[in-house]
Amino acid sequence: MSKELTIFVVDDDQAMRGSLRWLIESVGMRVETFDSAHAFLDAYYPGRAGCLLLDVRMPVMSGLELQEYLGRREIRIPVIIITGHGDVAMAVKAMKAGAVDFIEKPFDDEHLLNSIRKALQYDEQHRALHARKAEIAARLAELTPREHEVMAMVTDGKSNKEIAAALSVSAKTVEVHRARVMDKMRADSLAELVRMALVAGGDA
Amino acid sequence: MLALRDLGTDAPDQNRLGRYLPERSHSLAIGGVVKLPRISVKPTLFTLLRRLPMPVISIFIGLMAGLAVWITLDQVQSRAIERIFGRELSMRLDLRARESLIRFDQYMANYASTTRLLANHRRLAQYLEPLFWFPGEVVDPVIYAGFRPFWLPDVFGRNALLAPSHVLLVDSRGLVREIYQAGEQPLPEELTNDLGEWLGDLDEVRTVLARFDDSPYLVVSDRVEDASGYTMGSLVVLVPVDAGFLAASEGSFSADSSAVALVDADEQRILASNEPKQLIPGTLLSEWGDEYLVTSQSLPAYEGSNWNMLFATFIPQRSVAKMSSKVVDFERNQRLIAALVFITVFTLVIYLVSARLNKVLKRMTRFSQRALGIDQPGFNGGGNQLLLLEEWMQHFTSLVLRAREEMRRKHEHEMRETEALKAAIMEASLDSIVTLNRAGSVIDYNPTAEYTLGFDRDQIIGTDFVRAFIAPSDRANFIGLLQESRRRGPLGDRPHARTELRAVRNNEQLFPIEISIVPIALDDEPVYTLYIHDITKRKEAEREIKGLARFASESPSPILRVNGAARIVYANASSQPLMTAWETEPGGPLPIRWCDQVRETLEGGETREYEDDLSSAIYSLLFVPIQELGYVNIYARDITAVRRAEQESRQHQAELVHVCRLSTMGEVATGMAHELNQPLSAIVNYANGASRRLKSGQDERAPLIDAMAHISGQAQRAGEIIKRLRALVGKQQPIRSVVDLNLLVREVCSFVEFETAKLDMQIEQQLAEAPIPVDVDLVQIEQVLLNLVRNALDALEERAPGERALLVSTRRVGERGLVRVKDNGPGIPVQRMDLLFDPFFTTKESGMGMGLPISLTILEDHNGTIRAESEPGAGALFEVELPIAADAAGSGDEQTTMALADARDLNLLELPRLEGTHG
Repeated sequence: MSKELTIFVVDDDQAMRGSLRWLIESVGMRVETFDSAHAFLDAYYPGRAGCLLLDVRMPVMSGLELQEYLGRREIRIPVIIITGHGDVAMAVKAMKAGAVDFIEKPFDDEHLLNSIRKALQYDEQHRALHARKAEIAARLAELTPREHEVMAMVTDGKSNKEIAAALSVSAKTVEVHRARVMDKMRADSLAELVRMALVAGGDA
Repeated sequence: MLALRDLGTDAPDQNRLGRYLPERSHSLAIGGVVKLPRISVKPTLFTLLRRLPMPVISIFIGLMAGLAVWITLDQVQSRAIERIFGRELSMRLDLRARESLIRFDQYMANYASTTRLLANHRRLAQYLEPLFWFPGEVVDPVIYAGFRPFWLPDVFGRNALLAPSHVLLVDSRGLVREIYQAGEQPLPEELTNDLGEWLGDLDEVRTVLARFDDSPYLVVSDRVEDASGYTMGSLVVLVPVDAGFLAASEGSFSADSSAVALVDADEQRILASNEPKQLIPGTLLSEWGDEYLVTSQSLPAYEGSNWNMLFATFIPQRSVAKMSSKVVDFERNQRLIAALVFITVFTLVIYLVSARLNKVLKRMTRFSQRALGIDQPGFNGGGNQLLLLEEWMQHFTSLVLRAREEMRRKHEHEMRETEALKAAIMEASLDSIVTLNRAGSVIDYNPTAEYTLGFDRDQIIGTDFVRAFIAPSDRANFIGLLQESRRRGPLGDRPHARTELRAVRNNEQLFPIEISIVPIALDDEPVYTLYIHDITKRKEAEREIKGLARFASESPSPILRVNGAARIVYANASSQPLMTAWETEPGGPLPIRWCDQVRETLEGGETREYEDDLSSAIYSLLFVPIQELGYVNIYARDITAVRRAEQESRQHQAELVHVCRLSTMGEVATGMAHELNQPLSAIVNYANGASRRLKSGQDERAPLIDAMAHISGQAQRAGEIIKRLRALVGKQQPIRSVVDLNLLVREVCSFVEFETAKLDMQIEQQLAEAPIPVDVDLVQIEQVLLNLVRNALDALEERAPGERALLVSTRRVGERGLVRVKDNGPGIPVQRMDLLFDPFFTTKESGMGMGLPISLTILEDHNGTIRAESEPGAGALFEVELPIAADAAGSGDEQTTMALADARDLNLLELPRLEGTHG
């Protein structure tokens, strides 16, 4: 898994890129460097695991602009902002836009590496949730419209009788639908089904 | 009053007497004040008249009138009747005559027709058959005397005609064969002699009145024909026209005793009449003129007569006279009735009038008792009401006159009182009151007038007021006012004519007056009362006020006054350019964009200041509301020059700032900080990476060496940057010039005018009176001072608007010029005082922390110093010290030592240390 994880470094300064690669690779992480936001966008494709180290001050497209661009595209890669001026306003802006952390140059190596680790962890969790959601969505897609209805009512905490009355079918039929829902959703218990419904709902 | 009392007491007696002796009452009444025309009636007759009641008099008058009517009518009517009857009589006579003639005519026509009937009788034709008579045989005619032959039936009698005296039967040869003779009278010879003449050429029946033996006859002849129309002979009928004939011809018509007669036209003699006893034949017509009215008519229809006859009709005068007298009697009766009716109506009318008068008199009595308080009105119900009324009228008139007299006295009394009151008012009046007659001469005056106008008491009355007291230039005006006052009338709702004029005092001194004229119509002569008020003091006050008011008009700046509707009600002369720019005029509206401001100012009640940037000029407008009058005064000021200066100064400032930007280390240092950060960060990263690798046993030499090379390279890069920085600072060569420190301070203060205005405060400048010449780089020192002032202003932002104070002062202490900037802001915390001049130290969020370090650098360059002191919470003080320019040095004194002694106490700070806060 860690093979797939990549630290993307975007900085216009060659010395900074080189030194950061040197430092991060020293803890055995994979590093890719880009000298501009555009270079990064050309090489990156969504789904690549990892995190992004961004210098705020860059010509053409600044770090904040890139972050905003990614946010608009719903590319949820964790971002760590590197500032050179102790510009609190800029940092706050970056954090508000969803940056995991910001670090000021010249930075403490431990601080940086901790931030990276935190970002990766966040990325991993995010990806797991995303995968789970995708899985549940796929299962939900298998359900017939009637089974969707039944599932919605079940997860709402309604009894078979109530569902039967609401859908104007027999309780027996409801039981059959319910069993099929449980089967299709691969839920072992009602509690699990409810959790799936929450995850799926959270996504929506 | 005496006369009045006399009359009052006498009144009842007089009234009582008046009833019997009316003439006395007259004389009494007239003897008073009244002069009435006296009715000239004889006393006795008057007494009689007075006693007679009206109805009696009316009957008397009625009788007299009736009599008069009678007599008049008698004269007029009798004549008229006679005339009418005369005409009537002649008309009747005419009518009667015609009728008689027609009857006569008719009667003769009857004979003609009867004769014709007879002539055509079958029997007669047969009788005359020539067979029986031998032609040429001359025989004497057969005479039937006294009896009718058989050929003569009694046709005349049957036709109610008188029988003829003779009937002759003539044969076809004209010979008389047979004669019928009714009476003894033989056939007249004249007829038989001229028979042929009488027969003539008979085609039809012929009727002729003829005269035989002085007697008139009717001769009727006709042919006798047989059945085949063959003439057998002729028949001649002879009828004497005598009384019987005439009577028969008139029939019963003569009942009215009229008569007819045949008259010989030549002799005017009666030949025959139907009343032979009265109208004897043979008498002349003229003999009957007294008894009868006669009309003669000719008888032209009967041609062939042997004499001239007239047919006369007689109407006896008697019958006419009788009728006339009957009519006169009847008319007399009518006249009597008319006279009686006249009397009755007259009496009745007068009676009614008198009854009415009685009522009126009664009412007057009541009125006299009630309204005039007279117990005895002077008359009662009896007597002649008209005279009584007249009496009462006289009495009433006397009463009225008496009352008038009383009123006049009362009025006189009141007048005297009013006069007294008026005199008092005139005396007391503070205004001069002068009365003029129509000609404009003084007829009355009061003491104030005497005092005010300063005239001579003895000569004033009759003086021409206009000429004496009105300034020549105002005389026309005054006369106009007089006329106007006359036009307005004396009293009423309209105000009196009033104006302001100049009057003359003592023939020389002019003074202003307010004059009001009231015309008063006294009898026919109008007089004018003038109320004159000396308004010298008021005029002075007005002049004073006007003088004050002229402030506005004299102002070189535009001053306008607008009303609530934003219309200009006043504009001084200087407003003209502004109004031209606004495209308006006095009385016109403000531009629309200012209307709302006027309203808001008026509503808000607070002075507001605006600016109007017109293309030609910029005006500052101060809107001052005058709420009680609903006006807004606009004080405009042409601030074009000021604004232009400000703009220039702003430009200057902008240039200054630009220079600052380029020259300050702050801006440079910002860039430098980033520049330096890059290599330093890289070095740190390389070093950390290397140490981590070594720690974790990744000890491949090549990468580590490579990293070391990187570190060395980045360190060199940092060194380059610092070198560049030093080169930049060192490159600045200040441009020195000698300037007045005061001037610098003033200029700097002007730079921040915007900021001070925003903070609603002013910088207090306490500058040395004498110039303080210093040899400095103008821009750099300005920058230092500007920086200090700006810092102070920033600090003052934390203070409440009214409490902000900033003092900038200059002074010269020996060879040094001092500038102090002192604010009452929050001050500088004690622990920060040490860091004040360190680079990158700042208390401000937006600051770089480079202002003071750079200032320090600049001042050190100028061989000057800067120091600061502060009392936290009470303010801060910065003092800049610069050496006096070399040329001007030497004028210093002992103040130097004092200043230096002061300086020692201050927390004087040296060069900044290099380590920054961060960034």
